[in-house]
Amino acid sequence: MSMAEVCCDSAVVVGAEAEARARARAGRRRRAGVEGAGRWNATATAAGVAAEEAATRKRRASGGEAGLVVVAKRHGAASVAGRRREMEDAVSLREAFAAPANGEVAAARCDFYGVFDGHGCSHVADACRERMHELVAEEMGAGSPAAAAREPASWTETMERSFARMDAEVIAGCRAESGSCRCEGQKCDHVGSTAVVAVVEESRVVVANCGDSRAVLCRGGAPVQLSSDHKPDRPDELERIEAAGGRVIFWEGARVLGVLAMSRSIGDAYLKPYVTAVPEVTVTGRSDFDECLILASDGLWDVVSNEAACEVAQSCLRRGRQRWCAEAAAVLTKLALARRSSDNISVVVVDLRRGNAL
Amino acid sequence: MEQQEEVPPPPAGLGLTAEEYAQVRATVEAHHRYAVGPGQCSSLLAQRIHAPPAAVWAVVRRFDCPQVYKHFIRSCVLRPDPHHDDNGNDLRPGRLREVSVISGLPASTSTERLDLLDDAHRVFGFTITGGEHRLRNYRSVTTVSQLDEICTLVLESYIVDVPDGNTEDDTRLFADTVIRLNLQKLKSVSEANANAAAAAAAPPPPPPAAAE
Repeated sequence: MSMAEVCCDSAVVVGAEAEARARARAGRRRRAGVEGAGRWNATATAAGVAAEEAATRKRRASGGEAGLVVVAKRHGAASVAGRRREMEDAVSLREAFAAPANGEVAAARCDFYGVFDGHGCSHVADACRERMHELVAEEMGAGSPAAAAREPASWTETMERSFARMDAEVIAGCRAESGSCRCEGQKCDHVGSTAVVAVVEESRVVVANCGDSRAVLCRGGAPVQLSSDHKPDRPDELERIEAAGGRVIFWEGARVLGVLAMSRSIGDAYLKPYVTAVPEVTVTGRSDFDECLILASDGLWDVVSNEAACEVAQSCLRRGRQRWCAEAAAVLTKLALARRSSDNISVVVVDLRRGNAL
Repeated sequence: MEQQEEVPPPPAGLGLTAEEYAQVRATVEAHHRYAVGPGQCSSLLAQRIHAPPAAVWAVVRRFDCPQVYKHFIRSCVLRPDPHHDDNGNDLRPGRLREVSVISGLPASTSTERLDLLDDAHRVFGFTITGGEHRLRNYRSVTTVSQLDEICTLVLESYIVDVPDGNTEDDTRLFADTVIRLNLQKLKSVSEANANAAAAAAAPPPPPPAAAE
C-alpha cells in the first residue's frame, strides 16, 4: 500500500482557520497588495494559535479523542491523543516570533516551531508551548549580532540558555496560564517533556532538541535528520549518565534508573543530573531543493521512518494543494494511528520552498 | 562486672546513626525481615521526618488515597467490599485498590491488597496482586516510629521477584528510586500538615495592654 493511499479528505480543519482562509480568498479577489497579504498572514497566524488553544481546552474538557489540525500557508500541524489515555503533547507555531534586529530587513523570515511531548502530566509541555519561543526570542536579542550574521556556536549558546531557563521555570513551579491539569499547585518533580524546536530563517534552519522527539528535513524527496534522539542507551548518552553516577537499566526498554525512557528532557527534577535539559543544536543551510521540515513526537517516529514521512510529504506536495503542509501533517498522523502507535502523536510540517513568500 | 552487649551497626546505605538504629531495631526485626529465596530481592529504606508520628501515620495509613504522598499515581479507586456493605470506606486487611499510573513509566496499572493496618503500632503493609507492570509478588511494609517528640522515622521495606532478563541490582535500583521519591514527598506533605496544624492550634496573641 502506498503511503499516499491513507485517506486525508476527511482531515478536520478548525473553524477559525476556515474563516481565515475565506478572508484570504476574498482579499486576493480584491487584489490586495503586500500590506493586505501581511494582514492576512497575521490574522491566520493569530487564528491558528487561538484555534489551537480553544481546541486544546475543549478536548481536555470533554476528554474526547478528537484531534487538532492547524492550517496556515507556510505550515500545518496535527495532534491526536492516539491510544494513550491522555493528551500530553503540545505544539507551538509562531511566525515572525522575534523582532528584526536593527538594519535587518523586516520581511526576512524568522519563524519558530516546536513539538513538546510531555510525560507524567501535561503542564510541562504546556509551559514549553507558552514560553519557549519567548525565551528564545529574548536570548536572540541578548546577543548583539543580527540573526542573519549569527555563527552556529552563537546559536548553540542561545538555545542552551533558552532550554536551561525553560527547565528552571518548570522546576520552580511556573505553570502555564491555561494549565488545567490535576497537579493543582503541588511541586511535580516527576513531570517532564521533550522539546524539539526549529527557527526557520531566510537562509538557514536552526534545530535544538532535548529528548526523543525529532526534526527531519525533506530535501529532494530524501530525509536529512536534523536532530538525534536522546535515548538512554545511545552510547555517548550512556557514558555521560554513568559518569554522573547514574545507571541505565533495561526495564521495558532502556530507562534511566529503570524509570525514564529518554536521557534528556525539560523538567524531571528528580532524575537530574542524569537526565539533563541541554539541547543538541544543528544549523543547516537552506537549499533550493528543500521541500519541508517535519517536527514530530516519537508517537510518529516510532512507527513511521524518516523515508516514509518524506514520501508522504512529497506526495501531498505533488497534489498541488495550497495547504499541502496541513494535509501532510494530517496524513502522517493518520498513518501513525493506522500503524497502532501507542503514544500521543504530534506533527508539524513547515514549507521550506523558496519563493513561498507571501 | 557484667559484660556489655555490643550494639550491631546499622545496615549500610540506610543513612541511620547507631543510636537511631538502636531505637528502631525491634521494629526492623518484627516487620522488615523477609525470607528471600532464589530469584527474589529485598530492600529497606529510611526517611527522617520533622513532624510528630501521628501526623505522618495519618498520611501513610490512607490505603484509599496513596497519591497524597506517592508520586507516579494518576488515580486510585478502592474496589467495593462485598462483605461489608454498610461501610464501603472502611479500611481493613483484604481490601483491594486499583492504581492507575502516570505516563512515561514502565507500568500502567497496579492492583494492590491491604495486608496490615495496625494503628496501635503504626504498621502498614500491602501486596501487589496484579496489573500491568513487571513487579511480580511485590510485598511491602511501612512502619512509623518515634525518634523524639517532633521527629519521626519512617521505614519502608519490600520483597519482590527479580524479572527475567534483569539482575537483583536492576530490580532494587528501580524499586528504590520510586520509594525514595515517595518518602521524600511523604516528608514534605507531613511537615506541611504538621506546620498547618501547629499554626491553627496556636492561641491568638494577647490584646495589647491598655495604656495607663
